[in-house]
Amino acid sequence: MPMKELKIDNEHELVIERLLHAKHYSLTLDKSRCVGCEICKVICPREAIEVRKQPKLQGQRVQRSVFDVSAQKCSYCGMCVPICPFEALRVQVNEEPLVSVVEKESFPQLIHEIEVDTSKCGVDCVDCEKACPLNLIKVTLLTPDGKEICHNDTRTYPSNSLKVNVDIKKEQSPCCRLCEVKCPEGAIHVRKIFHGVLDISVEKCPQGCQDCLDVCPIPGALFVEGGKVYPNETFCVFCGACKIVCPVDGALVMERHSVHHTPIKSGAWSKAMEKLTSVKEYSKESQAKRALKVMQSIEKRTACKGVEYV
Amino acid sequence: MSEETPRVGVFVCHCGLNIAGVVDVKAVVDYARSLPCVMFAGDNRYSCADPGQEQIRKAIRENKLNRVVVAACSPRMHEVTFRKCIKDEGLNPYYLEMANIREFASWAHGSNPVGATEKAKEIVKMAVAKAVLLKPLDVIEVPVTNKAMVIGGGIAGMNAALDLADMGFKVYLVEKTESIGGHMAQLDKTFPTLDCSICIEGPKMVDVNRHPNIEIISYADILKVDGYVGNFKVKVRKNPRYVIAKNCTGCGECRDACPVEYPNEWDMNMGVRKVISVPFDQAIPLVFAINKDYCIDCYKCVDACGARQAINFDQQPEEFELDVGAIVVATGFDIYLPTDDPLFGYGRYDNVITALEFERLILAAGPTGGKVIRASDSKKPHSVTFIQCVGSRDVNKYEYCSGFCCMYAVKNAILLKEKYRDDVEVYLMYIDMRTNFKGYEEFYRRARDLGVNFIRGKASQVLEDTKTKNLIIRAEDMSIGEPVELESEMVVLCTAAIPKKGSDEVARVLSISRGADGFFMESHPKLKPIDTPVDGIFLAGACQGPKDIPYSVAQGSAAASRAATILSKPKVKIEPIIAVVDPKTCQNTKVKCGICEKVCPYGAASAPEKEPAKVTPAMCHGCGTCVAECPADAITQMHFTDAQIMSQIHAALEINPEEKILGFLCNWCSYAGADLAGTSRFEYPPTLRAIRVMCSGRVDRDFVLEAFKQGAGMVLVAACHLPYDCHYISGNVWMTKRMAALKGMLEKLGMSPERLKIDYISAAEGVKFQEVNKEMTAQLQALGKDKIRAENARLRPTLEKMLARKKAEAPAPVAATAPTKPKT
Repeated sequence: MPMKELKIDNEHELVIERLLHAKHYSLTLDKSRCVGCEICKVICPREAIEVRKQPKLQGQRVQRSVFDVSAQKCSYCGMCVPICPFEALRVQVNEEPLVSVVEKESFPQLIHEIEVDTSKCGVDCVDCEKACPLNLIKVTLLTPDGKEICHNDTRTYPSNSLKVNVDIKKEQSPCCRLCEVKCPEGAIHVRKIFHGVLDISVEKCPQGCQDCLDVCPIPGALFVEGGKVYPNETFCVFCGACKIVCPVDGALVMERHSVHHTPIKSGAWSKAMEKLTSVKEYSKESQAKRALKVMQSIEKRTACKGVEYV
Repeated sequence: MSEETPRVGVFVCHCGLNIAGVVDVKAVVDYARSLPCVMFAGDNRYSCADPGQEQIRKAIRENKLNRVVVAACSPRMHEVTFRKCIKDEGLNPYYLEMANIREFASWAHGSNPVGATEKAKEIVKMAVAKAVLLKPLDVIEVPVTNKAMVIGGGIAGMNAALDLADMGFKVYLVEKTESIGGHMAQLDKTFPTLDCSICIEGPKMVDVNRHPNIEIISYADILKVDGYVGNFKVKVRKNPRYVIAKNCTGCGECRDACPVEYPNEWDMNMGVRKVISVPFDQAIPLVFAINKDYCIDCYKCVDACGARQAINFDQQPEEFELDVGAIVVATGFDIYLPTDDPLFGYGRYDNVITALEFERLILAAGPTGGKVIRASDSKKPHSVTFIQCVGSRDVNKYEYCSGFCCMYAVKNAILLKEKYRDDVEVYLMYIDMRTNFKGYEEFYRRARDLGVNFIRGKASQVLEDTKTKNLIIRAEDMSIGEPVELESEMVVLCTAAIPKKGSDEVARVLSISRGADGFFMESHPKLKPIDTPVDGIFLAGACQGPKDIPYSVAQGSAAASRAATILSKPKVKIEPIIAVVDPKTCQNTKVKCGICEKVCPYGAASAPEKEPAKVTPAMCHGCGTCVAECPADAITQMHFTDAQIMSQIHAALEINPEEKILGFLCNWCSYAGADLAGTSRFEYPPTLRAIRVMCSGRVDRDFVLEAFKQGAGMVLVAACHLPYDCHYISGNVWMTKRMAALKGMLEKLGMSPERLKIDYISAAEGVKFQEVNKEMTAQLQALGKDKIRAENARLRPTLEKMLARKKAEAPAPVAATAPTKPKT
């Protein structure tokens, strides 16, 4: 059978497949998770991904930008899978999930650092669950005999015997920090994946336009005041969805400066990092790595740990 | 150049009784003595024998002769003999002219001795007229670079390279893909012996790699070829692998570290290969290559390679020039993929595959590890059907038979039966079973004995059961005369072998031609299947036409032998009967012409912009087509100049022209056919006066016009049959166009159409030549002398005006003795 390249587009998923006689590759986008940001498009080495701004209908709010991928260009390398902060993509080879670039250590994974100290949690509190804009948090209670129950069934148990269990789908979380801020006890610690700057020029921002806010996946990262939109960098995840829809050139500036990822040594990551941030930022990261390496090699040679710099 | 007075000697041969029995030899001798410039005339019993030759030499010595006419048999018989004879006496061999009074007089007019004698006299007169104008010529010698190039590293190319290398010549084996081996290395087992293909080819590939005289240049393209036989300059470009060949050990650790894969063409896109990989594990040379299109630059390969440091991402393409004396083209073939054919479902139905894809499945080193499985469910099929002649023997696609498909289908059927026994039902639908070589018929019988079901009847349509993905094949079973429907779990299409993609580019770069089917054209399909019309370039293997492995191997060795005939000599001799351009008269300097370049089938004539045209002596074969086509009359053909031919026309038509047919016969076909008529003693009236040219393409319009101006009754131009018989490929085509236009014009001026006849007579058509002569003589007599005279008188003013522009012939330029220095 000659090689076939297929694309299946429906309400829930976009799937591309490469079918060879003895091997099947597929890339699936979960449309419920995709927010129409620019991250996968930026790093794709074959430029196979497009994220298209949707035309705005008269009097309507702008819709989320739509992801599209070319079945001919995609090489199923899998770089888009770990880089998506929302875990919207998955690659399968012969129906088994496989991200070869991570397997072969050619690409890092993002670190979704979200820690909850449940000892601080109130038994009745579900504030974090309500705060999460992507519904990634589920608070349940554990009975002494290990059963998991929801808050509606607490009556049969004494409150101090119940343990709070906070389940967070970390891999799908872009680490916006809304749960951390909303937690009344300060039990949650979140470290952002992407750090950077988000700037909206007051003069250039068109009066009454709130397209960026309409596509932003995190409520609170942008807010309207007097017909203009203002950023709140605390909650911004630097996904770039707003950048795609902003109608005025130069009105919205979004830059990433760093990426929180697992340690990696790969030319492919260097290129991706340069594309996501900038050459300057990448060189800062590589210098930091280099310094670390030098330190390690001196430690090895002089056989003493913790060299002090005088 | 000294213009010495010609002193012609005429030697009339008796040839025993062959001539003397019919022709009055003494009368011819006396007549010859009376001709201008003839200083000596004598007769011999057998001129070609030693005493006869000695007599000729003696006469040359005693009479200080400087031109020799031997009136005897056909020049196709003994021209070489007498040229050598006079050369031994110190005369330039091209000072000889033969008068054919045996095949053209005594043998053809045996019952008409008077007519034969008169004709013989005129033939001698024509020969003397030409002899007076003959010029000395020297054989051109070009030095030979004794290195060879073989383009294509398949089984034919490798054999050619090995044979040439074993003979002691240095060989450059240029291969376009990353590894040598060709299609044979993709096969599982070969028929009829069921040898494992790579097991027999692998050692050969290693031999090629190891041979001290062979240099493999792989992953390279041929950019340009200049020069001519013995002296080709080939520009080659090596494409970057991004791996340093010297450092790569072929260990494969880089491949293990690489994260990205892409479809592997070697596996017919059924399997994948890593971005850094070799196409298959036995590749030669075993050097990895990076496909930059898919590489993500992670550099894991560099890490894995480590201290070997074989990877270099900055590698650039490398261009260089090689000097070779001969080139063997062995570029192979491709397989037709019938995606455009709606009848067989290839590309739509999962379980329809081509035969080469089947090979990759059943091969142990293939993408499924030797398991024949269906694409739809990865399960072994319980029934497999082979459909023959998909695309071949099809007037709508490829008309020819691809030659090896019957055999490989039988082979694959046998392999399936021997591997899976009763677990698989095998069907083979065919039109004919072509199993014609050693062991092939027995192989076919073996398949029948194993229980393969042969259905005679080509499948007309393949449909799919969407649930099971099984295929339903519709055909007519001719043995029972009924339509049949067959359900099969897998269908294998045995598709046509087609010319390799890119062979049009190869043909353009090498200036070789492709036949109507797209495969490279050989010089002669029976007698010269390895040569191409370009001297020094030879063909081997499937690029000349689809063929199986033994035939390809044989052609590889044949090409090596042919190439060695050039390479084994320090110099190559080129006959000086070539075309020479007078740069002063050439009009390409003033207007954009280039007609000579257009009509030359050998690429010997070139007309660069604003410069006078030039003919490369070593590439010119001497057909004379450019000479006749040149609108400025700037080209001369040595030994067949306009003046020489005109003198023959005048000599022939001096007396009673209205009773004569002036004939132009081409050396290879029509002159030979005329000779055959004489040899066979087919008699015809002695009205024809024949002028020999090398090719009918040489026959200038002016010759025909001059003939009618001199009062000829009729003119015959006879050539090789169209379209493929011309010895110089296309000379007869240009002649036909030229004469058709001329004939139309003359008829408009009032000439009876039968007076100018263009005909095609092959060397085997002695009877036809006799018929043509009889027919034309009858027509000539029917027209009558008066009518002819009247028509000629009407034509004469126009003809004189047309011929006036032909300048008085200047002495022809002397041909170059060294190919790089054009003279005059």
